[in-house]
Amino acid sequence: MAARIRQPGFYRAGVWMVGAVAFSFFLTWVVRTSTGHSTFRHFISGDAILTVALIAVPLAFLIGIGGFDYWFYWAAGRPTRPEDHSGHGAYTWKDYFRINTDHKVIGIQYTVNSFIFLLVGGLLAMLMRAQLAQPGSHFVDANTFNGLFSVHASILIFLFIIPVFAGLGNFVIPLMIGAPDMAFPRLNALSFWLLPVAGLMMLGSFFAPGGSFADGWTAYAPLSTNAPIGQTFFSVAVQFAGASSVMTALNFLVTIITMRAPGMSFFRMPLLVWANFATSLLVVIATPFIAASQFFVLLDRALGFNFFNAGHGGDVLMYQHVFWFYSHPAVYIMMLPGFGIISEVIAVKARKPIFGYRMMAFSLLAIVGLGFTVWAHHMFTSGMANWIRIPMAITTSIIAVPTGIKIFSWLATLYRGVLHLDTPMLFTLGFLTTFTLGGISGVMLAMIPFDIHVSSSYFIVAHIHYVLFGGSLMTIFAGVYYWFPKMTGRMFDERLGKWHFWTTFVFLNLTFGPMHILGLQGMPRRVSTYASQFADMNLFISIASFGLGLSVLIFLYNIVTSWRGGPRATANPYRAMTLEWHVSSPPPVFNFDRVPTVVGGPYEYGVPGAQHGIFTPTPTPMGASAGVHATSGET
Amino acid sequence: MEAASIAHAHGHEEHHGPPPAHKSSRVEPQLLGMLLFIISEVMIFGAFFTAYFFIRVAQGDPWPATGTKLPVDVAGVNTAILVSSSFTIHWAQTSIKNGNRFGLKAGMLTTFLLGATFLFVQINEYANIGFAPQDGAQETIFYSLTGLHGAHVFIGLCLLLFVTVRAFRGHYSPEEHRGVEVPGIYWHFVDVMWLVVYSTVYIL
Ligand SMILES: [Cu+2]
Repeated sequence: MAARIRQPGFYRAGVWMVGAVAFSFFLTWVVRTSTGHSTFRHFISGDAILTVALIAVPLAFLIGIGGFDYWFYWAAGRPTRPEDHSGHGAYTWKDYFRINTDHKVIGIQYTVNSFIFLLVGGLLAMLMRAQLAQPGSHFVDANTFNGLFSVHASILIFLFIIPVFAGLGNFVIPLMIGAPDMAFPRLNALSFWLLPVAGLMMLGSFFAPGGSFADGWTAYAPLSTNAPIGQTFFSVAVQFAGASSVMTALNFLVTIITMRAPGMSFFRMPLLVWANFATSLLVVIATPFIAASQFFVLLDRALGFNFFNAGHGGDVLMYQHVFWFYSHPAVYIMMLPGFGIISEVIAVKARKPIFGYRMMAFSLLAIVGLGFTVWAHHMFTSGMANWIRIPMAITTSIIAVPTGIKIFSWLATLYRGVLHLDTPMLFTLGFLTTFTLGGISGVMLAMIPFDIHVSSSYFIVAHIHYVLFGGSLMTIFAGVYYWFPKMTGRMFDERLGKWHFWTTFVFLNLTFGPMHILGLQGMPRRVSTYASQFADMNLFISIASFGLGLSVLIFLYNIVTSWRGGPRATANPYRAMTLEWHVSSPPPVFNFDRVPTVVGGPYEYGVPGAQHGIFTPTPTPMGASAGVHATSGET
Repeated sequence: MEAASIAHAHGHEEHHGPPPAHKSSRVEPQLLGMLLFIISEVMIFGAFFTAYFFIRVAQGDPWPATGTKLPVDVAGVNTAILVSSSFTIHWAQTSIKNGNRFGLKAGMLTTFLLGATFLFVQINEYANIGFAPQDGAQETIFYSLTGLHGAHVFIGLCLLLFVTVRAFRGHYSPEEHRGVEVPGIYWHFVDVMWLVVYSTVYIL
């Protein structure tokens, strides 16, 4: 037992966490007794202890499982020790529950963890639709309902969409650029373990006195600064999720810049790598703003600061500016990696070079730049100075251009292609349809009068779900199916995959399509009940949404059974050219036994004699380590 | 833990370790990582300056709040202390590049002491300034900007301390001094940031 407590792992984490709780009691007691300030009325306060514990306990957990071990070792003045890769690979399921520095293990940790939170977030949506099935129902009370949609949004944004892309990127990017691992494996390991912490904290807010945070994922001040303690769970959880994002983004950027295989110039990189490069830039630049916005809220709540206390000169509009300066770029953080996935799938499945490769890359960078110029389009009805709306409406319309370039490039790639309509491709085509619809309603919302008209209505709910479900989630499904053979070494069931696609696509449109109409008719969003004139359509939406929920079960069944007993995958089942398909499925522990040399573009399908990566000279026989062969580009 | 030992056993029978990664850039990964991280840090200061902008410029509130006074002179001396620490750490870095171990140790120790003095003066300033962040928005902004910077000084000091300890333990050489350089960049960033904070909060 004593040895277990000394070694990194869950036992040691438990001990540290108990210590952190004790520390929280002690610190609040000391601070409160030693300050005579009127803010500290009592010596002991549950809220104060909880606030400190929310920060201290997760840190203690991370220390306990060994996330900081190397840096402690370094700080103690010992000699530096380059990551020796001894912890690489996963040989039993237990290896997924420890600090693991292998990017492939971390990629799977990320992805599986994200999908667990997708189920939780989806379940919360089901509860909401159950409440909304009839007007005036009492399935949950109004405050709980507010909590449901707030946690639903926060979980799916911070714990599903953003990290699942980081997970897929983690698995695929080093393989795609011919690198043995990420640039900072220990940082990578730590960045994963911040996520379950953030997620459990958000869910844990349901058990807080006064209920969970209930003012949306936007947590506008002064609602958030006056809310019960559940709000603190959100503010702190966002810090952990944000730190995880930034760590991964730094890792991606450094890996992509410094670890590409010989011959892989920037314009020979697959577009998924480009997309994650652009996304990481957004994360590094924008995420500090949401961190700061939640610092402000925390300081106002916990220490009586006056950022948003209008009575003392605070400015509540400032919250929205700071928040949206992150959260508009965040919609691209939630979309650009998906664009990358679509580019990969579409070129391989249409057996054609991607149309306008350079424009695809430049449009990503254009989105990064323009993404920082549009934030106040979320604030047209906030009471800010009227003139700010006009430049924001213009930039918001302009940012549709690079996105439009991508859509047309994909369509041009499909044109006269030899389409292989399997599951990843179906999700790709579904994405093109629903995302374009969501994009068009987005351009509509850029129009100031229209936005003012529908701003607080279900039209916004329809738009965001067409973009995030019809957009991001479709690309995620496409990506998970596409790389499933590479990640697990097994093939998924194609028939179930097609069932999954069609149920998703149909129920998605049946659920979110009518919300446009509801919004235009004036049904307000964020309400637990509504006027009886909207009853029929809401019942319809609720039934469709349950169908959508059930469609996810097909996916789960497919993934679980295929992972356990699906047919073995070959190294390159799709005859793709990018480097990750040059190694076995799943890849060997160290990815490449020799670093490949890149001699051409990644998408030269149908170009006679074209090659992307080759292994020169012929590798020494390393057993069955890889289906090492240069892919030819036949269609 | 048994999982680790299993991984280890496998590691030995199957693998010889990965081939070294190809270096596709002349920039060192650690250096690049630190520079990118500093972009994030600049942005977090940017967010706090946004709050400052909204209170002081957009709302046009008096600065500093009526009835309060900022110790511009004391903070000015403190600024000089912090700026001089940028020079001493540069001295330490040049020394180790030339193989001068004494210069490294003396330079790091001086830098650390200068930084610690800065932080001490800053805390002392809080104790004697005569207003609290709970008093009003301007006070909140004052404490937040200087406090955010103080937190960065603290992190920087921790890094400096680790480097100093390592310097005294005999690490680093003319060939291998990245461990002094990367924290040094962070320290320079902390210094430059203070110049921005000092000029906007105290002088302007
Ligand atoms: Cu936006």
